Amino acid sequence: MSESIIWYLREFLRTEWIRKFLLAKTDPLVTPPYFKDYPTLTGKECTACYQCMMICPAPGAIAVLRHDDGWRPEIYPGHCIRCGLCVEACPEDVLQSGRVLEAQHRDRTGFRATFHLSIDREICMRCGNCCISCPVGREGEPDGAVLKIEKGGVQILNSDLCTGCKTCEVNCPNRGIRVARVVEGVQEAAA
Amino acid sequence: MKKTVDVSIPIGPMHPCWKEPIRLKCETIGERVLRTEVELGYMKKGIERIMRGRPWQEVMFLAERICGICSVIHNMVFIEAMEGISGIAVPPRAAYLRVVVNELDRMESHILANFSYCYTIEHETLAMYLLNVREIVLDQLERITGSRINTAYMIPGGVRFDITEEDAAALLAGLARVEEDVERYTRMFATSYLIALRSRGVGTMTREKAIEAHAVGPTGRASNVPECDLRLQHPTYQKLGFTPVCRTEGDNFARNMVRFDEVMQSISLIRQCIGQLPEGPIRGGGACTAGEITYQGEAPRGELTYYIKSDEYGRIIDITVRTPSIMNIEACTHHMINDVTSVADVTSTFISSDPCVACTER
Repeated sequence: MSESIIWYLREFLRTEWIRKFLLAKTDPLVTPPYFKDYPTLTGKECTACYQCMMICPAPGAIAVLRHDDGWRPEIYPGHCIRCGLCVEACPEDVLQSGRVLEAQHRDRTGFRATFHLSIDREICMRCGNCCISCPVGREGEPDGAVLKIEKGGVQILNSDLCTGCKTCEVNCPNRGIRVARVVEGVQEAAA
Repeated sequence: MKKTVDVSIPIGPMHPCWKEPIRLKCETIGERVLRTEVELGYMKKGIERIMRGRPWQEVMFLAERICGICSVIHNMVFIEAMEGISGIAVPPRAAYLRVVVNELDRMESHILANFSYCYTIEHETLAMYLLNVREIVLDQLERITGSRINTAYMIPGGVRFDITEEDAAALLAGLARVEEDVERYTRMFATSYLIALRSRGVGTMTREKAIEAHAVGPTGRASNVPECDLRLQHPTYQKLGFTPVCRTEGDNFARNMVRFDEVMQSISLIRQCIGQLPEGPIRGGGACTAGEITYQGEAPRGELTYYIKSDEYGRIIDITVRTPSIMNIEACTHHMINDVTSVADVTSTFISSDPCVACTER
């Protein structure tokens, strides 16, 4: 019993505790620089390569939209889970979040991805939503499209042009079209 | 009909001591609790169904969200299972960094579990102290990964961010603070007579019963089952010369002391990792392919198993998760809460086995 009482007395007569008791002060509420917040724009020009949309794990969290002065990714905070993958995937450094961009430049890390389109002919009802929503090859050249309704069904014309942005998958009413994204985390050897 | 019990008392699903909803039905004679029965099913999320048909970069975030306390180990076991399917090698530096983040997560989980126990036995001073220490640990997690809980640090073939010299120095300084505090609190816990009255000899489970009920994690190790620690089979931990913490009493006190000792052990493991951190890359690349695997890892609460089947592009076809808490909850209700002296001891014994209901029901 005496041991316990001594411990408790020692616990409450520590100078640190007495100082805290008299001069208690809440730590200032500041966000540390390493906190991964919602991605923000750095001001660099977006080339609409859709890599951010390709890698985003949360449905409806990011969309690359065209404005009067060019393309820009837009983050929807209600859907974004602040994982920072879009920051790492962007080849043009358009987005930033915490120290992700800095760490990526320092470690020379990035992602490499390949895409495979597949259409389930039994589910597909040939509505053409995927062809209309696909953002690739919309500017003038009709041969540059990835998908087209032909011969009574969706045909994959140029699968190598696919950017893996999942827009077709999201807009398909039946989940008949699937984009497999095989992503690898890579690092360049230090110079 | 012959009356065998006086009253059947329900505890939960909403109870101030429970972190998550679960119901215990206690059959009592007077104040004495003869038997308990557990009732699950209040927070089913169906997360395994959501995972199907998705690639690793989406599933790793879902896997973390199975449990809000031990999220890092879910990420780690899932990613290591995918690496096992695809034959991806991890660079040594990344393997050590994974251990650092995993042990930080284990520390915060154990400190939270001990907070919960102290709060249940109404020792709110120690509970509050422990939550304060947990903040320091979470700050270190945030410094390395950018997030406090759902860190998403590991990817197939490596980790996402490297650790700099300044970060490592700050991490070690933070750990020194945690070590000093946890050492003091462990002694407070071990020497306090009030805590001993509520903890020593309450909810005792012998080694035979623990093996029979397949108790895992600190619950098993408190009943002298050191071989249930799966870190013994992990290659990086083997390199670090890991030996599990073990106690023989098997009561509430032992379970909490095992967790306190494991916090100290985690600190020394992190120091060892930072000291031996090899130079080199943190990502090796490698795409996920088709395959099937069952992979186990040691979560803060015990053995965590993932069964995964994937297609040629690395998408998940089938996934089943078995989490440690289901074994511990069963072991607790069958072998620990068995003829305990009061209803108040039921809540404290149940919390001492560190049940995680979010994991259990997924």
